[in-house]
Amino acid sequence: MPDLGSALWSHASLSLPGLPRALVRVAIPSLLAAALVVVGPWILDTYTLNILVRALFVAIAALTVDVLWGYSGTLTFGQSAFFGIGAYALAIGFTQFGFGPWQALMALGAAVGLAAVVAGFVGWLSFYPGSTPLYASVVSLVLPIVLVQLLYSGGTFTGSSSGLVGFESFDLSLENWFRLAGGAVLATLVIAWIALSSDAGRVLGAMRDNDERCTYLGIDTARVRIALSVVMGVVAALAGFGYVGFSGVAAPENAGFVFGTQLVVMVALGGRGSLIGAVVGALVIEVASAYLSSSLPFVWELIVGVAFVLVIVVLPGGLFGSLRDASAAMHPRLRVLLGRTLSPVSLATLERTAPAPDRDAVVVEVDSVSRHFGSLSVLSGVSFTARQGELVSIVGPNGAGKTTLIRCLADGRERSEGAVRICGQSIGRLSPDRIVGLGLGRKFQAASVFETLSVADCLRVARTRSERPSLIAASPVLALPAAARAVVESSGLAERLDQEARFLSHGLKQALELAMVLALEPQVLLLDEPTAGLTRAERQGFAAVLTDLVARERLCVLIIEHDLDFVRRISSRIILLHQGRVALDGPVAEIVDDPLIREIYTGSTRPKQAGVTP
Amino acid sequence: MTAALELVNLTSGYGSSTVIHGVSLQVGPGEIVALVGKNGMGKSSLLKTILSFLPAWDGAVRLDGRDVTRLAPFRKRALGLAYAPQEQALFQDLSVRDNLRLGLSDDRGFEARLADINNWFPVITARLYQRAGTLSGGEQKMLIVARGLIAEPRLFLLDEVTEGLQPSVVDRLAEVLAAVRRDRGTAMLVVEQHLSFVLGLADRFAVFKRGEVVDTGSVDVGSAARIDEHMRL
Amino acid sequence: MITLVLDIVTTAAILFIVSAGLLVVFGVMKIINFAHASFITIGAYTALVASRFGLPPVLAPAVAFLVGGLIGAAAERIVVRQLYGRPLDAILATWGLSIVIGQLVTLGFGREVQFVPAPVSGTLAIFSEDYSSYRLLLVVAAFVIAGLFTMLLNGTRLGLSTRAVIMNENLAQGLGIDSTRVRLITFGIGCGLAAIAGALITPLASVDPNMGLSWLIGAFMLVMISGGSLPTLGLSCLVLGGLQVLASTFISPILGGLTIAVLAAVALRLRPEGFARA
Repeated sequence: MPDLGSALWSHASLSLPGLPRALVRVAIPSLLAAALVVVGPWILDTYTLNILVRALFVAIAALTVDVLWGYSGTLTFGQSAFFGIGAYALAIGFTQFGFGPWQALMALGAAVGLAAVVAGFVGWLSFYPGSTPLYASVVSLVLPIVLVQLLYSGGTFTGSSSGLVGFESFDLSLENWFRLAGGAVLATLVIAWIALSSDAGRVLGAMRDNDERCTYLGIDTARVRIALSVVMGVVAALAGFGYVGFSGVAAPENAGFVFGTQLVVMVALGGRGSLIGAVVGALVIEVASAYLSSSLPFVWELIVGVAFVLVIVVLPGGLFGSLRDASAAMHPRLRVLLGRTLSPVSLATLERTAPAPDRDAVVVEVDSVSRHFGSLSVLSGVSFTARQGELVSIVGPNGAGKTTLIRCLADGRERSEGAVRICGQSIGRLSPDRIVGLGLGRKFQAASVFETLSVADCLRVARTRSERPSLIAASPVLALPAAARAVVESSGLAERLDQEARFLSHGLKQALELAMVLALEPQVLLLDEPTAGLTRAERQGFAAVLTDLVARERLCVLIIEHDLDFVRRISSRIILLHQGRVALDGPVAEIVDDPLIREIYTGSTRPKQAGVTP
Repeated sequence: MTAALELVNLTSGYGSSTVIHGVSLQVGPGEIVALVGKNGMGKSSLLKTILSFLPAWDGAVRLDGRDVTRLAPFRKRALGLAYAPQEQALFQDLSVRDNLRLGLSDDRGFEARLADINNWFPVITARLYQRAGTLSGGEQKMLIVARGLIAEPRLFLLDEVTEGLQPSVVDRLAEVLAAVRRDRGTAMLVVEQHLSFVLGLADRFAVFKRGEVVDTGSVDVGSAARIDEHMRL
Repeated sequence: MITLVLDIVTTAAILFIVSAGLLVVFGVMKIINFAHASFITIGAYTALVASRFGLPPVLAPAVAFLVGGLIGAAAERIVVRQLYGRPLDAILATWGLSIVIGQLVTLGFGREVQFVPAPVSGTLAIFSEDYSSYRLLLVVAAFVIAGLFTMLLNGTRLGLSTRAVIMNENLAQGLGIDSTRVRLITFGIGCGLAAIAGALITPLASVDPNMGLSWLIGAFMLVMISGGSLPTLGLSCLVLGGLQVLASTFISPILGGLTIAVLAAVALRLRPEGFARA
């Protein structure tokens, strides 16, 4: 009996030249769905068709909520506002100017333009360095409320609380409206699916998993989110445009807060992050509401409310998320099929000229850097320089300010006073993603990777700054700089390229993060306690990698460490921080026996006699 | 006699990383044990595991013979366990007095205990109504210790309590802790890097390296040198 | 002019009463209770039922507090507690709760708008202007609530434990405070306060299943800019409430309704942590 799983798997791995793999995977389901859309009107009755056309346009709006919430992690209640913008652009346009091709084009332009501007503004308001997801949700809440109030106060221009009705609109038969709406949903689904499966789409998942890591890989996450908001706002507006073009009525309820929350409920029940879940959720709820609202008005809404609460608490994946988890548990091959990590990936090395072996330019200059929190001084007057080819260990007891120093180097807004120059450029008040561009790579203490992305995708996201990722295809080749590739191969990650990062052991996660940072091709590398939690063998491997990086690639490595044996073995220089100041700074041989180190660490210059209290 | 604290093969960690590897340790009733070791070796994580802030993956923690491995952190106080954390140990915006009150489970007998605090750390009672955040580093550490002692615990866990303190304050702490052990029989597990402080106070020591106890013994003339070997740069 | 000032003060008082419960929950549990609106509704309907049973109106808020508090505590225990580590999902779950409660109320009482007579009617002469006595009474009520609450927070052991949990939940647990129980009590009190607000505002507005919703956003924004501090909430209510009254009077009532939401959103952008420390 042939294994269905492997048959499906090999089918899915097929690729037709020139077409993105993701498209091929959904080709058959899409064609089936398209057939249904064409054939549907001949099977369904008028009443159902009517409901479905509206439901399909609502489904498009729900899709935008899923992309924003399920894929990039921003809970938004405001997509209804954009739906309303599209709706009212058409209604006002046709009411004021009558119906005709020019009027339709103008209304369409108004819908798209206004949606884009509003979305851009709302995005700028919500997404800024240091913003919280809660604030973005708050703003998305306020938007439809503001819009509805504006509609109420618009008099006859907007129809106020009764809305606009009676304008002439597109003259399509019901059947063709169904095909148009169905086709629009299908097209949106397929385009979204391809874009989200592409290399560029991975960045969204990375931002949702670990926004900070993205910033420190040089990605301006605020800008990506704003761009995404604009696109989603426009799509939702187009959905509203179609909805009112069909129904002939534009009411404030189409733009309001309640509708916005209904979209979230649809996505939650259908399964956030699954795309198809948003569509199914929207269709089911809209159709059921239409049928049941006459017979069981309040009970139906009660059922939806209870289902919603249950889903949030017990089944956060919703319908499709739970289906996916259940089937993956049953058949592991199916899991890979349903998962997004699909194409086999091969490694390649980027050609780079090796730097001259004696290059030792100064790449880090720290000049009187201080950091206060109110009256508490964590760092004061810290100054030192570091060159290419140096491996500087920064040591000191807890609370000495080591991690704060790293933060002051990697984030221009962190320090209170003083100046920092990386590769000759002052970092001023630059945000971390800009400083990455100066040649700085930072590795965090707790392995900071993208938990739900595969190893290959993590590395690909790390290359985003250097090579703009494709919005269509998922490249089968992963090209890495030599140093990053060396780490990937020596650590054993090369055999696990398609494994999700959250299943890696601690040591492998640390190696992955190191490889990701090396993929940036930095000239200065900041490492925060990289050996914490590693086995002895892993530590030795790590030491070898570091010494190689410094010698061959002429990196400047600044490493915070507690393991003084490790420090002694690999460093060329030691800086001892104590209570926020530089206590010692010099070559390993000189510092190692300095009595100051012993005193600071163990509190005594020589062992004290037991039982003698001063 | 049942040990005040007994750790049997305790194992725990963060995420995929094991930090505490099968640690076994005992603190007898009224005994002071010093847990020494360099930074980053897992000493704080061990204390967090004892308190259940970090779930134990394997092994057991016993207080007076009773298994408390999975007991919620807030219940351990009622069993006579006091804890002086290393970081974020005080409510900066609450007064010294309110911070002390939180060392007890209710306010009965608080005023009486204040008299004890006055004996140990008069500088604290002098600042009773000030915000804890306005105290100096040394005074804050004294407050943390006072809060731990106010409930007359059977076992006191101290995490790097002398960090960043002047010698005079360190000496005062040593005196107070020794006196409390002598008069009340309070057992203590003192995590420290400051060797002279802790060796002057403790009965036994245990050296902690990379999540394991690598050496243990009674404190005597040769202990310091022995520990030094393990801590050597 | 006097009328305007009194309008501002009474509006601020009403906003304060409505928002206080939300602030309590936000401060301790760091989540926004979207079901707050439905507890306002519960309080209003409790007052309605109480008046139908002939209960003296002065007892209505107390009864509302009990009913709201108990239902709130049950909600915390069954739903909110499971979402401790997922704050955005907790917010969504409370929204789901509000849908459920709203529908249950509708099923029980029908959709029609109802009216509750004011316990104190007529006007009081203030500086030769006649002003609604009931509205003035609400100012007193706001101070009473603020006073009781401050006493609870600063004068009782529970209040101390709650303040500790607000500041540092881990440390509080390490000191033996059962933070789970604190959260339960806090959520119950927060919902109870919402119910009191509902009972108190019924004579001013009508009672219908969705009445709480219009208060939710304003209250929510006021709480966020107050950063968890009760005095700051009072101040925010005065400032923003005042601006809302001014905008409604001199520009348009509809746009006036937007004032709080828009200004608060802008204020939060400038100072994300709220204004408690200002």
